[in-house]
Amino acid sequence: MNLVQHGEAVPAAGRSSAAPADDHGLTARLAERKDGVALATPRARGAVRVDLEEVFRTTYPRVVGVAARVLGSREEAEDVAQEVFLEFARSSVPVTAAPGWLSVAAAHTALNHLRSSRRRAFREEAAGRGDSSAPDVAETIETLDERRRVRLALGRLPRRQAVALVLRHSGLSYAEVAEALHLSPGSVGTTVRRAEAALRKELNPHAPSS
Amino acid sequence: MHHPADGTLRRLVDEPAGVADPDREHVGGCPQCLAEVAAAQQDATFAGTALDVALDTDVDAGWQRLSHAAVGGATDRWQTTGRARPWRSRLRSPVVAGAGVLALLTGASAAAAGDWLQIFSAEQVAPVTITQEDLVELPDLSAYGEAEVVERVRIRDVASAASAEKVTGLEAPRVDDLPQGVTGQPAFEVVDKVSGTFTFSAEEARRSAKTQGETLPQPPAGLDDSRFRLEVGPGLAAIWSEERGLPALAVARAVAPTAYSSGVPFATARDYLLSLPGLPENVAAQLRSFSADGTTLPVPVPEDLMTSSATEVDGVDATLLEARDGTMAAVIWVEAGVVTVVAGSVTDDEVLAVARGLG
Repeated sequence: MNLVQHGEAVPAAGRSSAAPADDHGLTARLAERKDGVALATPRARGAVRVDLEEVFRTTYPRVVGVAARVLGSREEAEDVAQEVFLEFARSSVPVTAAPGWLSVAAAHTALNHLRSSRRRAFREEAAGRGDSSAPDVAETIETLDERRRVRLALGRLPRRQAVALVLRHSGLSYAEVAEALHLSPGSVGTTVRRAEAALRKELNPHAPSS
Repeated sequence: MHHPADGTLRRLVDEPAGVADPDREHVGGCPQCLAEVAAAQQDATFAGTALDVALDTDVDAGWQRLSHAAVGGATDRWQTTGRARPWRSRLRSPVVAGAGVLALLTGASAAAAGDWLQIFSAEQVAPVTITQEDLVELPDLSAYGEAEVVERVRIRDVASAASAEKVTGLEAPRVDDLPQGVTGQPAFEVVDKVSGTFTFSAEEARRSAKTQGETLPQPPAGLDDSRFRLEVGPGLAAIWSEERGLPALAVARAVAPTAYSSGVPFATARDYLLSLPGLPENVAAQLRSFSADGTTLPVPVPEDLMTSSATEVDGVDATLLEARDGTMAAVIWVEAGVVTVVAGSVTDDEVLAVARGLG
């Protein structure tokens, strides 16, 4: 799972050397990075935390919501949520820190997925072609184009700003965002404000400047 | 007093209770700050609209998927059926993306043809030892071109072995003697056929090579834009769970992977791809050693986590995988175009006993 953080504090320290095989490569790939890696402290191989279902049921909608705000697609957001919970399942992240950890992980993983822009664009076109419920082709294209622009803009934001923005708009309080990103609540406001201004400027450059 | 910071003004927009009284009082009487708050409000609304998504999240479905795919990692790790996670997710996973590359690279030296031509049909399995470093280096399919999912993974629970057989056309496995500690009746799942296409792109490969500081060798004629199609499934699985709902033993069967080429002689493509920068040399060497008849299914084995050894199941060559920490064992083999996997939180002897006793 891609839980790369760029400079900020990580939700859970440690580097996993015992991730499941499907995630093992990514874990290994991340472990090579120099710019900070957010990986949960691994449990013994094969061990799965007993509180997983409880945490899942209480946090899954929010985790999907975080990823969906980045990706603009519920389906892909659910894929990201699965990746995130997979990592969490084998982690030792304290249950009290789980909502924040999962949200940050979902934001980072989803932002990392944005990198595969070419594949994404292809799939969107395919999805657009197959969407018989779309009332109007022009509207569909416009919606897809808008989503693409939003994601492009998100991808251009500094990572910390993008994560803070998405978390705040996913319903996390300032205190929760602050705790999850190891920021002061005041810094959360500043970071979110900058991200929103940048997003508006990127997507709607003719609007009055703040 | 000084004007409050931007962040404080932003917080006034949607969490005013978190702003100190003196700051709020100041803003109330400061046109400059009020204008800043209004601008922040506008940008926040704009961002909220841009990021808004309509979601109707199905928690039960999500949990079912996780408990099957993620929680049962021990049984999910090496399956080639694509049972537990979507093909698309798997394409993003280096192990599976790697497996896709491996499957492509072991295709047969078939002649070119105008239509899809079967170039690879798994009739046996062979482990490919992969280190952590290999996984880091192993290129994603997207490093070589464009991957597209044609038929996505659809996993469904079915009520019985008979239902699973009816849906897939495969014989459901019957286990008469369960290993110690595994009890009860299995749950059955089926997965429809999964297929994807891969289009080789010289430009993409060149770009990938460049990022590694390498120069792409000149692609052979006809390779650029040539397409390959990979298919696997349908498949079925019988899963015995322990009390917490985690899989204790699973037996899965699926129509073994096949690959098709849109026309390029596959030996040409394979030899070229094996020469590309990015593929770890020891992996490439293992792949070169495979028979060139396109019937060997490579099973990636992360060597720091697992060991593999040759065995047999009822006279058919099979590969036994064991986690180095002893938490799981699995055996995989291909017979008559069907790949079967038996795996679980059991010992190697137990998994082999189940495999050899399948009805």
